[in-house]
Amino acid sequence: MPVFAANLRRDLEIRRYPMLVYALAPLAALVLQAWLPRLLGRYAWFDLPLIVTVYFVLGRRSPIQGTLMGAAMGLFEDALTHHAIGVNGIANTAVGFVAASLGVRIDVEHYTIRMMLCFLLSLLSAGVYLFVYRVLLGLELDLPWFTEFFKAVGNSLIAMALFPALDRLRIRE
Amino acid sequence: MESFFIRYRNLVVLLAVLLAQVIGLAVQVRHPDAGPNTFDSPDGSGVRLIRLWANALVTPPERVIHWVKLGAESLWLDYLDLRHVREQNQQLQQTVDRLRLEQAALLEDARQGQRLQALVDFQQKYIYKTVAAQAIGTSGSYQSRVFYLDKGSADGLDRDMAVITPDGIVGKVREVFPHSAQVLEVDDQTSGAGVILESTRIRGILRGNAAGQLQIVGILADNRIQPGEKVLTAGGDKIFPRGLPVGVVEKVLRDPERDAFIDVIVKPGAHLDRLDEVLVITSTEPRFSTEEQQDLAASESQKGAEAAAIKEQKKASEIIAERLPGLIDPNLPPDQQPLHDSSNPNPVAHPPQALKPDRFTPGVAGMPAGANAGSSPEAKTATPVEAQPAARSSPRQEDGAAQTGSRPAKPAPNAEIKAGQPGETQPSNPQGNP
Repeated sequence: MPVFAANLRRDLEIRRYPMLVYALAPLAALVLQAWLPRLLGRYAWFDLPLIVTVYFVLGRRSPIQGTLMGAAMGLFEDALTHHAIGVNGIANTAVGFVAASLGVRIDVEHYTIRMMLCFLLSLLSAGVYLFVYRVLLGLELDLPWFTEFFKAVGNSLIAMALFPALDRLRIRE
Repeated sequence: MESFFIRYRNLVVLLAVLLAQVIGLAVQVRHPDAGPNTFDSPDGSGVRLIRLWANALVTPPERVIHWVKLGAESLWLDYLDLRHVREQNQQLQQTVDRLRLEQAALLEDARQGQRLQALVDFQQKYIYKTVAAQAIGTSGSYQSRVFYLDKGSADGLDRDMAVITPDGIVGKVREVFPHSAQVLEVDDQTSGAGVILESTRIRGILRGNAAGQLQIVGILADNRIQPGEKVLTAGGDKIFPRGLPVGVVEKVLRDPERDAFIDVIVKPGAHLDRLDEVLVITSTEPRFSTEEQQDLAASESQKGAEAAAIKEQKKASEIIAERLPGLIDPNLPPDQQPLHDSSNPNPVAHPPQALKPDRFTPGVAGMPAGANAGSSPEAKTATPVEAQPAARSSPRQEDGAAQTGSRPAKPAPNAEIKAGQPGETQPSNPQGNP
């Protein structure tokens, strides 16, 4: 009975969105991530696909969905680079799983918590990326950590503005 | 068993997804016999398919955004912000004219260079054909410095073609799709290009570092390398033709890993962060392209026209000089020279006669000829052509000069024409004295 109650509570708190939002928001994030650096140059300190992944995964609260969504977004990002496909995929898979697992346990309605989560998950993504690239694959890569820090800060700031905007698109029952 | 999968289904799915991606990575990365692992640049068919799908999904919206941006820029730049355009146009036209002349001047050197290269069986490849393309998107990751072009294999692009701008090299085409292409920038960590320093002629390999800077690696410490020196492509990498601008040396650093080597940081000539339009070199040939030949012909004709104009000006000035009244007419006898014409509006001013002649006075008898000529102020100020006859004049001539009294040291007009020819000064005597 307690398990059922927990599932019921979780089911009640799952956020639902129109299918169009599920389709267009990740695509828009990927397109803008690929296009905006042309305007901002090397100051494009953000990762929009990661932010969108964190947002939907926190709302859905399903580790499986988080895993699959993170893997899909990461593989898509990899496909646009000239690196091996799967490095970002593994990093975002881990982020999706962790975010969904946290979403079940903590209150993710609070903006500050979501911002902090976004910051920490960005650093986690960078750490997994570096681990896979250098340790798992044995490839040479220098990762400037100050840039990753700025990127995590940028993700948090964007999340602060983007999450409330996406909240307006949810289906309210 | 079933309950295990149900109970741990989250972890099972996670591990399955991770395992699948790790296997996929293992297929793509190669472990050579020596050295670090490498990622094979030519993608396999499966990987290429994934990239093609991703590209097909992202490129159309990027094109739309790019068109909207171009339209807005065009509206502003072509219609609203047209201040100083005429002045800039004039300046550009002057620059084009000047460059055409310079190009024509360099043409002979280039042709001579080609002939010499043919003699030593070395064919310099010239940029023969280029395709202009727009940069429409990037990889989205600063760890992968690639961008996408709006032209692909349908437009003649192929792998390993050089991508440049007039300011400097940009990168090479890494992957080609039907209507788009992926370009690897020279500032990527996996990029490489052969370069040469312009003045010191030191060669090295250009690549990007983690901070996105261009650096030349593998150079022995050399004090001659100074900031500001130009860096050009060396032409040995079979990607970039020789002599293309790369950038300038920004600073020289010690190689942290090898004491005897230095890292040369290069400031790129092209704005790699904000590229709009680039040129893809689709063909290199050991001769000039049709367009270049047309430019050269235009330069030649323009240069010829300018030379003809200068010649015409000289000829006109000579004609005018002949028609103007001169002071000396070789066809007239000395007494009818225009010099003595009272109607001449600008008569020649003769030096006044000395009231008390002394030994410095020109033409005073008894003085040595050379001393007289040399000490005379008039002789000092006279041109060598004028002073020569006086210095060489014999006592007999001095007598004649003394007889004339007024202009002893000043030779006759005809003497000026035939000065320097000994023995021909006699007819110049205006009085006809021997």
